[in-house]
Amino acid sequence: MHPHGRRVVELKIPSELGYEKIAREAVATVARRLNFSQEKIEDIKTAVSEACTNAIRYGSGFDVRMKVVVILTADDDKLDILIKDPGVAGVPPPVDVDIPDIYGMITGRRRLGGMGLYIIKELVDEAGFVQDSDDEGSTQFRMVIYRVGEGE
Amino acid sequence: MSDEVQVSVRWDATTAIIDLAGDITNLAEKPINQVCRTATEDGAVNIIFNFRQNDYINSAGIAILIGVVTEARKRNQTLMMTGLSSHFQKIFRMVGLTQYVELYPTVEEALTAVNSD
Repeated sequence: MHPHGRRVVELKIPSELGYEKIAREAVATVARRLNFSQEKIEDIKTAVSEACTNAIRYGSGFDVRMKVVVILTADDDKLDILIKDPGVAGVPPPVDVDIPDIYGMITGRRRLGGMGLYIIKELVDEAGFVQDSDDEGSTQFRMVIYRVGEGE
Repeated sequence: MSDEVQVSVRWDATTAIIDLAGDITNLAEKPINQVCRTATEDGAVNIIFNFRQNDYINSAGIAILIGVVTEARKRNQTLMMTGLSSHFQKIFRMVGLTQYVELYPTVEEALTAVNSD
């Protein structure tokens, strides 16, 4: 794809668990075209899966009538991923998350789960919720993966 | 969208080898917990989770596995995992699960470790 400039892929998936796999396959195809390494592609697939699952679970409340929008923007130097949901859960949590307390979960002091945002943060270069004044009420989660050190 | 995991059990003495094929997501909770309960009732001292063709393990799936670790610890069972891709080994290390589960490349290597104890 280098150096032809920006390419944008946009898809809408139903807010139902399982459909995040479509986003996962789509992002893998785009990342492959950007010549990301296989290891990095696996990281990106996992991050997109987790972000879409959050959007389905919390952002749309499992309501299959709602849609999660995934916008993949491939630039020469980076892959920019925006995931939009209807925002039914209200204000999103901070992304500055701690390492999961596995011991707490095993000993029953912490509930199982809550690892998705941590995994995303570890796998991509930038991750966080963004504000969009034109799209009131929706929640948008953005991830960026740079091509630094990746194959040309 | 149906993505149910396929679960089957085989035995090596008191070690239950649980083969898991398919996605490890929230949909896997019931079959995984059920197979662990049955293996325990049938006398499993050690449990090996053998991952086969698992292209997709998400954080909900990892939470299910943490639940399995919890139950195994209560029953003094040794839990091992085999067949994980390097990517999922990395994710398991990242969240700290490998502090509580031993990872081996193959079932044979896990059984060797069991039998050498």
